[in-house]
Amino acid sequence: MVSVTLKVNGETRSATVPGETTLLRLLRDKFDLTGAKLGCDVGDCGACTVIVDGKPVNSCLMLVGQVDGREVQTIEGLANADHMHPLQKLFEHFGSLQCGFCGPGVIMSAKALLDENSNPSTEEIRDALGGNLCRCTGYTKMIEAIKGAGCIMRGEEVPAVKSA
Amino acid sequence: MADERSKVADKPDVLEKPGFLQPPAPAPIVTFPIDEEVVVRDSRQQTPAVGQRASRADGRLHGLGQTKYIDDMYLPNMLFAKIKRAGVASALIKSVDTKEAEAMPGVVAVITGRDIPCNSFGPSLKDQPVLCDARVFHSGDGVAAVAAETEQIAAEALEKIKVEYEVLKPVLDPLESLKLETPGVHAPSANIYGHKIIKKGDVEKAFKEADHVFEGTFRTQMVEHVPLEPYACIAQWDANGRVTIYSTLGRITLGRADVGRTLGIPMSRVRIIATVVGGNFGGKNEIRAEPVMALLSKKTGRPVKIVYTRTEEFTSSTTRHPLIMDYKTAITKQGKILGRKIRLVLDGGAYCSWSETTLGKACILSAGPYNIENLEAEAFVVYTNKTMTGAMRGFGAPQVCFAYESHMDDMAHALGIDPLEIRLINAFDEGSLSPTSQKLHSVVVKESLLRAAKRFGWNGLDGENGTGAKA
Repeated sequence: MVSVTLKVNGETRSATVPGETTLLRLLRDKFDLTGAKLGCDVGDCGACTVIVDGKPVNSCLMLVGQVDGREVQTIEGLANADHMHPLQKLFEHFGSLQCGFCGPGVIMSAKALLDENSNPSTEEIRDALGGNLCRCTGYTKMIEAIKGAGCIMRGEEVPAVKSA
Repeated sequence: MADERSKVADKPDVLEKPGFLQPPAPAPIVTFPIDEEVVVRDSRQQTPAVGQRASRADGRLHGLGQTKYIDDMYLPNMLFAKIKRAGVASALIKSVDTKEAEAMPGVVAVITGRDIPCNSFGPSLKDQPVLCDARVFHSGDGVAAVAAETEQIAAEALEKIKVEYEVLKPVLDPLESLKLETPGVHAPSANIYGHKIIKKGDVEKAFKEADHVFEGTFRTQMVEHVPLEPYACIAQWDANGRVTIYSTLGRITLGRADVGRTLGIPMSRVRIIATVVGGNFGGKNEIRAEPVMALLSKKTGRPVKIVYTRTEEFTSSTTRHPLIMDYKTAITKQGKILGRKIRLVLDGGAYCSWSETTLGKACILSAGPYNIENLEAEAFVVYTNKTMTGAMRGFGAPQVCFAYESHMDDMAHALGIDPLEIRLINAFDEGSLSPTSQKLHSVVVKESLLRAAKRFGWNGLDGENGTGAKA
């Protein structure tokens, strides 16, 4: 068993778990933060993406021992009762998610990108979503939403969707 | 252009409005005036809904990470289950020894195929065991299941289950399976378990009269749906002998029937709660481990959950049928198709599942959207000792589309005709008859082709966007 103390969405949390526990299992099973999903358990699909010290990571590949003392952000930390994150607002507005299972991971990858660069090019967005798989909607509407969220973060208006 | 920009940034959140949890006001009652003529829209006319923007009702919770899929649910005192996979494609089960697994600390119950009250199910043919008891039909088959305090203990317990097999030679090639002398995958049943013929006109006469006869064989591979959410299920057997199942099934009524049948209880004692589904694409149309979880719950008196691994999703769920498609087409030198003969062989894998639907649809659509006076299409679906096939988007339509369109391109190339031209010569018109003599309406094949060609600037094979493959 290992004891870890980490900051999750700004709150200090501790747990004593078996050493083979992944960050994903810790968040889901111990902290009841089920937003990050288990899709493949081998780091291929990105459904488990969370942000650790500002960088997006596959939480299914990170052991609890590696997150001791670090700062973790999950999808649950993005919104509060009054306000949604611009990404969440625009993912809803643009219909970027269908089944939604990949959503939390995609949004966390996008957030890590926008935190570093609020005006990314399509190429940079594609690159940032390289580790996230979606099987329903595809990525076009996600890219539109991420660009739009960047606009909001820069204080600009969101361009309207081009009709097909 | 400023007025065309959306005002999302300024739009207040619904969450910010007071009373957002209140249900919407009931819609006013609409009465149709009897003396006025009722407007029936022409089938070509688009309804006002087309082109409107609409938000998904559940889109917000998806983005907030608050949508609860099965793996996000936890019932008090819940156990976790794992299924032991056969790992051999075809075998007789000599014995299953679960003693060592049962003795492990943390293991609460173990069941095998012999514990299933009625060990067969399926949407049409009831040829699929819940857990194999006497025989293994493909390597992803389950042979035993463990319920334990944690998933890790359950996984470890699987290693302690000893299964003795008499390994048999598997049937892997669908063309081999088609032959009468090939051993039956489900002996004494035949390997061909579905067959369809469509005949129209006189194909042989067309082959004699045509300027050219072209032949081609096309194959497609097995495809897995890969929903981002792996298959998951929770079952809870209660003191009144009723079972509640949380399931991602797309067809819960069929699921209730199958669960009731396999457990030997009336459907009225089976309650299936359809949860939010993390991607389906046809892969969640029938039960998988629901009866196993129900029996483990009955045996332990506790709720039991299973989540398939990504590997199990590939080996132990349904897939898209691989097809072997033989095409033979009689055609004039101008490019008009006179007759076509098709043979489709569907590799059904170990179980029937939705093969009959797939077989029918593939056969009906195999001639393509073309007016063909003389047609003969024959389709077979056969068992092999491979992962079972079933429903997947299109039910056989994408496979035959790949074949007839590739065949069209091959013929156009050989005849020196523009691939767009050969399609315009043969494509359906308004009122054309399908191979099964269904009169077709709203047919816009030619218009669609021309519009697409115009939009991407098609100027024939030698044009800017052509392949330049013309001989």
